[in-house]
Amino acid sequence: MNEKKPTVVWFSAITCNGNTHSLLSSNSSKFELFLKNFDFIYHGSLTIDKSLEDIIKNQEQIDFLLVEGAISSNQKFFTTSNDSTKNILEKLVQKSKYLIAVGSCASFGGIHAKFTQNDDVCGLKDAIEEENKKKLKHPIINLSGCPVHPEWIFQTLFSLKNFKEISLDDEGRPKELYGTLAHHGCTRNEYFEWKIEGNFGQKEGCLFYNQGCRAPMTHSSCNKILWNDINSKTRAGMPCIGCTEVDFPRNNMLETKKNMGIPLEVPLGISKRAYLSISGVAKTFKIDRLHKKLME
Amino acid sequence: MKTVDLVERIEGEAKLICSWKNNKVSDARIDFLNFRGFEYILEEKSPLDALIYTPRICGICGQAHLKATVEALENIYENINEKIEISNKAKLLRQIGLNIEIIDSHIKWFYLFIMPDIIKLNSSDLGIYAPLKGKRWLEACKTASETIKALAIIGGQWPHTSYMNVGGVMSDPTRMDLINMQNYLQIAIDFFEDSVSGVSLEDYLSFDSLNDLEKLDKDMKYFKDLCFKYHLNVYGKSHNRFISLAESNLFRSGKIKQKIVNKIDLSKIAESNEYTFSLNEKENISKKHTWSKLVTYNDNFFETGPLARAIISNRRFIKELHKSFDDSVFTRVMARVDEMAFLINDTKSLISQIDLLENSFIKPKISLNDIEKASGLSVVEACRGSLYHKIDIENGKIKAYDVITPTVWNLGPSNKKEKGIAQKAIIGSPNIEIAKIVLRSFDVCSVCTTH
Repeated sequence: MNEKKPTVVWFSAITCNGNTHSLLSSNSSKFELFLKNFDFIYHGSLTIDKSLEDIIKNQEQIDFLLVEGAISSNQKFFTTSNDSTKNILEKLVQKSKYLIAVGSCASFGGIHAKFTQNDDVCGLKDAIEEENKKKLKHPIINLSGCPVHPEWIFQTLFSLKNFKEISLDDEGRPKELYGTLAHHGCTRNEYFEWKIEGNFGQKEGCLFYNQGCRAPMTHSSCNKILWNDINSKTRAGMPCIGCTEVDFPRNNMLETKKNMGIPLEVPLGISKRAYLSISGVAKTFKIDRLHKKLME
Repeated sequence: MKTVDLVERIEGEAKLICSWKNNKVSDARIDFLNFRGFEYILEEKSPLDALIYTPRICGICGQAHLKATVEALENIYENINEKIEISNKAKLLRQIGLNIEIIDSHIKWFYLFIMPDIIKLNSSDLGIYAPLKGKRWLEACKTASETIKALAIIGGQWPHTSYMNVGGVMSDPTRMDLINMQNYLQIAIDFFEDSVSGVSLEDYLSFDSLNDLEKLDKDMKYFKDLCFKYHLNVYGKSHNRFISLAESNLFRSGKIKQKIVNKIDLSKIAESNEYTFSLNEKENISKKHTWSKLVTYNDNFFETGPLARAIISNRRFIKELHKSFDDSVFTRVMARVDEMAFLINDTKSLISQIDLLENSFIKPKISLNDIEKASGLSVVEACRGSLYHKIDIENGKIKAYDVITPTVWNLGPSNKKEKGIAQKAIIGSPNIEIAKIVLRSFDVCSVCTTH
């Protein structure tokens, strides 16, 4: 291992630190593997060797700049290290090869962009000057999610380290992680197929019909790469709230908007008419097994 | 002389402004200069959406905010005389989730935020405690990530699940799930015994005198010895007044100002913006210097958090330490680590009390969206102390949302009458390293303070 390890810098902008705690809650073997393969030189909450000022003043390049949180030029509401998040970000970007947005706030502005009195809160893509974007070796990578799944960070970093590039979707997210829907791998899929509605607090039934579950419309691998190695929201009984998408957070997230008993939005890629036909047919099957409790 | 220091490696960042006289801090001010406006963001939202928003006030105590929101929303039903039923099972699953989050936070805080600074006082060689490299640092991280799995079983994930809902919880664990949760908590117990205290959990829980300090081994012993060497049992004293707003299996509510009073009247809590920046630029006169508000009970500042809980809930070992060392850095940190032991033990017992045949969720008869005008409030004991939420709804939408976090009690600015809790504690520090440790002993969360 004589080869110089690539450097990683984590900058926390306008955030709740949820992505940091997601990282710390990762699989510990993977976390240690990450620390062995990368030189994690700065994180405002974790490291003690250098300050953010040291990183900015240092001549050395940053290989991977990870940013948690939304960006704003407004110093009235948000000052960190005596500067605006936008100014610090611009300085860091000029030294970096790859720029990775960790979480939905850094990707798209997220919850913090809903604070309308601070009117320029946004994600990285909208915050950075075009000329600085050009200095990067790769388009900005958006690892959206509120928070980001720690495994998505590791897989992205290791991919870039080994292959230098990664294939992105229209929202700048890695296709391999966001190409499928949160619905993929949900243990309630059979209830979805046969249109059997679920309720809160039950193991049985699908949460799409009444509880606002966005899993059939949300690009993420939450049910393929499980959270904390063991679970997902929909498996546990909480509807997907679509936190990896540009429009998160939406209104009335815990209920399904309907018109005459039919969900207003249907699974991605299906016309509403086709969805209604197939639902009608599916409902005619009365599958006793699925109408019973899984265990008494 | 005046100095201004940025304090990193808290949750977020703070600016510490110290005045010095005779090589001691003669005055201190703490500025929080980052404001995200959650209370404003919540206006006009559907009441249930608050369950998604408020956990995102903070990445480390989101479950406390979730529980505060769900209980404030349920309090709205009580206030309009609409009966709402919450099963004991749901209540237990909420408390268990919150407890696990506090355990996770206490482990991380001691090893990631406290130990590196304490050890640096002695030598620059951090050894096993070195961030990202040291054996114990990595073990602590691993233990926290294993422990939090117990919460992911009922929440689906951590951080940022909203598995609690008005009427109960969304999940419905099986018996195997409960066994699994006990097993993950066992990992925390093993770590506590092998590395934190060096004694069995059972022995530790029986500690009740100053002499028991001598029985400590491992990291608590190392911490204790360094504290005595660098006088952290003397530095960091504040008003010696404590408050704890919420009750649980483990915690009593009450306040102490000379003697314990177990009756809390929430209407005596007052928030002030006098020194806090305003959204309206014209109001930002020179005395305003931070985004943190200040909060008092009956016109007095009170410290909240594990030390307050230990004393008010009558946990004897910490009470004995407090008798000798008051509200010093040493006592404050010990109270937090001590609480970890009690919480792990208590949470295992709560899990065993769950009756799986009960409902997890009982749907309220009317929707919050149909309520014309009502208010609700709640208090919860979070990692860092008492958390208060108050919601006003009008025409089925949130009209106003007020959050008072534990860190506002501890880290808010002074008022005309007296110094704020952390400010008073910092005064008297002999150098900036100690001053920062005193500040850190409150488990500073900048994101919660300003929210």
